[in-house]
Amino acid sequence: MHAEAHPAGVHPEPTSFLRRYIFSTDHKVIAKQFLWAGLVFLAVGGSLAMMIRWQWAFPGRPVPLFGMFLSRSGGVITPATYQSIFTMHGLIMIFFAITPVMIGCFGNFTIPLMIGAQDMAFPKLNMLSFWTFVISLILITASFFVQLGTAAAGWTTYAPLSTQIGTPGAGQTLVVAAIFVTGAATIMGAINYVTTVIRLRSPGMTYMRMPLTVWGLWLTAILNVLFVPVLGAAALLLFLDRVFGTQFFIAGAAGVKGGGDPILFQHLFWIFGHPEVYILILPAWGFISDIIPFFARKPAYWYRGSVFAMVAVTVLSAVVYGHHMFLTGMNPLLGKGFMTLTLIISIPAEILFLNWLHTLWKGSNRFPSPMLFALGTVFVFGLGGLTGLYLGTIATDLYLHDTMWVVGHFHLTMAAAAFLGSFAAIYFWFPKMFGRRMNEGLAKLHFWTSAVFITLVFCGQLVAGYAGQQRRLYDPYQYTFLSHLLPLNRWTSYFAFALGISQFVFVYNFLSSLVAGEKAEQNPWQVGTLEWTLCPSPPPHYNYATPPVVIRGPHEFANPDVIKALGRDWIGQTEPMPKVAAAAIKPAAGGAKD
Amino acid sequence: MEAAGQMKIIVGIKQEIRASAVAAVLVLSNSALAAVQPESGLGLPRDASQNGHLVDWLMNITSVFNIILFTIMCVWMGWACLKHNRNHPAEYDPGSSKHSVTIALAVSAFIFAIVDGNLFVNSINDLDREYWNFEKVAANPKTVRLEINAHQWAWDARYAGPDGKFNTEDDIVTWNEIKVPVGAPIYVELTSTDVIHSFYLPNFRAKMDAIPGQVNRFWFQAKETGDYDIGCAQHCGTHHYKMKALLSVVSPEEYKTWAAEASALAKRAFDPEDTAAHWGWDWKEL
Repeated sequence: MHAEAHPAGVHPEPTSFLRRYIFSTDHKVIAKQFLWAGLVFLAVGGSLAMMIRWQWAFPGRPVPLFGMFLSRSGGVITPATYQSIFTMHGLIMIFFAITPVMIGCFGNFTIPLMIGAQDMAFPKLNMLSFWTFVISLILITASFFVQLGTAAAGWTTYAPLSTQIGTPGAGQTLVVAAIFVTGAATIMGAINYVTTVIRLRSPGMTYMRMPLTVWGLWLTAILNVLFVPVLGAAALLLFLDRVFGTQFFIAGAAGVKGGGDPILFQHLFWIFGHPEVYILILPAWGFISDIIPFFARKPAYWYRGSVFAMVAVTVLSAVVYGHHMFLTGMNPLLGKGFMTLTLIISIPAEILFLNWLHTLWKGSNRFPSPMLFALGTVFVFGLGGLTGLYLGTIATDLYLHDTMWVVGHFHLTMAAAAFLGSFAAIYFWFPKMFGRRMNEGLAKLHFWTSAVFITLVFCGQLVAGYAGQQRRLYDPYQYTFLSHLLPLNRWTSYFAFALGISQFVFVYNFLSSLVAGEKAEQNPWQVGTLEWTLCPSPPPHYNYATPPVVIRGPHEFANPDVIKALGRDWIGQTEPMPKVAAAAIKPAAGGAKD
Repeated sequence: MEAAGQMKIIVGIKQEIRASAVAAVLVLSNSALAAVQPESGLGLPRDASQNGHLVDWLMNITSVFNIILFTIMCVWMGWACLKHNRNHPAEYDPGSSKHSVTIALAVSAFIFAIVDGNLFVNSINDLDREYWNFEKVAANPKTVRLEINAHQWAWDARYAGPDGKFNTEDDIVTWNEIKVPVGAPIYVELTSTDVIHSFYLPNFRAKMDAIPGQVNRFWFQAKETGDYDIGCAQHCGTHHYKMKALLSVVSPEEYKTWAAEASALAKRAFDPEDTAAHWGWDWKEL
């Protein structure tokens, strides 16, 4: 019986605890492992952010609560500790919070389920990816406990500051090693995602019938496969500079004449780093591009346009990195080229926005928590995108480069949009993942507090940047031209603290729903994608006993024929059109023509 | 033309630079009288430069466009959410008709042409005519040339002195204080001895990275006298936040008098043995 349920060639479901929950090869278990790891480190990164905000609001005053970690300085953040705090805030949020939650968790969970596959293409590689990621978590945690403390050269780790010249001690070395190892884990995951989407789509699941979530995650994986190796190379060379005394990135510096080139590091870093910002937002674009039509009860407006826009952004993201280096003395012609390419990204971004807005327009919009978070993502990403125009343009970047404007801009895109987008996904797929519902009232409370405060925090940073405040200042008020900004920064900090406190609503809701949430039905959101229409909540070990046969796109809502025949406004991706009205069928919803 | 602002030279600076730099520096002006005026309000810091208004204008016009676009987006979203709610039947429109696609593309192209087009054209013009126009600055007889050497955590500046040559005995060397005449272009070449720094003049909308092993260039011009903050914009270590200096803009006459005195003093204090103090380089004219 058991064997019959599984198609030939797949192993039976493991029964031992260790193989089932710890060293599991099941993509859904690995997804949950990444989710837990990511949420824990999100809390760590968030706490570090709270400490930065404390320092800017009350410079030199002992930190409440977190002060216990600073016993040697009496609870006060010192300049040396401060630089470690903002460095680790950035690195942890990017590599150990957003990446595992968005890509590790939802990449793993949604890709096989949404394309009708039984697991990833390489389940063992998938497991290896997670446990390699765990090694990087151990390295990053260890770096806090060594002499001279953890990394302090900023998340960008610019050389020569990140070499022994600027940041001696084992902490920075451990962190560089952790980046290398987490890069290896990311590449393993990405190879898996790319292959799975190409090879394991079920019959009829053409590219133009894939949910946009899968498109976003797949393009992300392609970028990861191509560009994380470059980060790996940069980290390796930096490791050699630090440990073996090579001089790849050291030039004309104290005690060393000539040798390497600090700018080489920036090239390597940003060749990876700019695709990385799209790596962190493409999954969110995918989630909300599905969630908006799901709850507008309307086909996704110009599905193909959204796909083309995401593909265009993916391609362009590889050729715009130079805008991070406008002030490095770059060849003017090269600078103007990078500016042109950067501005061109506006076009696909506008198409995505127009598609989201058009989908809402004349819809039958409902506002459960995933929809609220999706709309919040559109709002903050709108702000983030528009504020980026000033930075992609060289003349205005001369003034705004390396100011809090940059910090506000990339937090609105990479932090606020990725954060709200991730929560849209968490609230949306929680019933499928855990078989229980989250409390909707608390979810809405979490949305409104998070969306309002996160917008205020990062807009506060934009205002500080417009007034000229540089990034990463331990005490901005040392400068006369910034001395009047203390009240602004203090208010921004209050909003940040409120944002931090409101996350406890989520923690409580998440944990209590896991154990005591209402049991989820198979398709609580009434949508047509495979994981909701064909799998119980939670799905069984191999998802689908037989590969589903897909006959239409993922957003077939409001079709008058379906409403007439079935009495509901949606139809599943595998569900045959009811016979009654077969003659009147019109092609619709994203690639149903295929 | 070789890339402006980018040419590689080996900056031969010995390790003892930090120790002896301070000793070699001549603190010539009385900074007790200098006082940077604080800013007020939440806008841009006041513009003391001859060409900063170009940046300000470009930012402001873009803000106007952005506010319009963002308002349209919010009204559109808000209207749809309020009016097209669960009581409104959803329209069965996949938006893939030729008509819909044409409209979406036309709207995108229109916004791109206006907002991005304006940024592109004006940025290129501003760079070619002003910020990256080093030919104009080099040709101006009033231009004052400065070499700046950044290190953790201070700014050393070097003036060529009456002989017009850098790294000679009449060079004026200052520490964390730069005096310039009003109304003359200040042509700066800068480098760093340790890590990357970024020379930042908020009141002049100007900024340029100081990078070890490389000499970068930029220029600015003051339109009024006064004292202004110089900051470091690139994280450069523990005391990054204290890497602050003073820009003192004075009348051409005052500058002339000061330069003559300072150079005479420097000549007297010149120590040929102190090689670490001779960190200057031959000026790389464009």
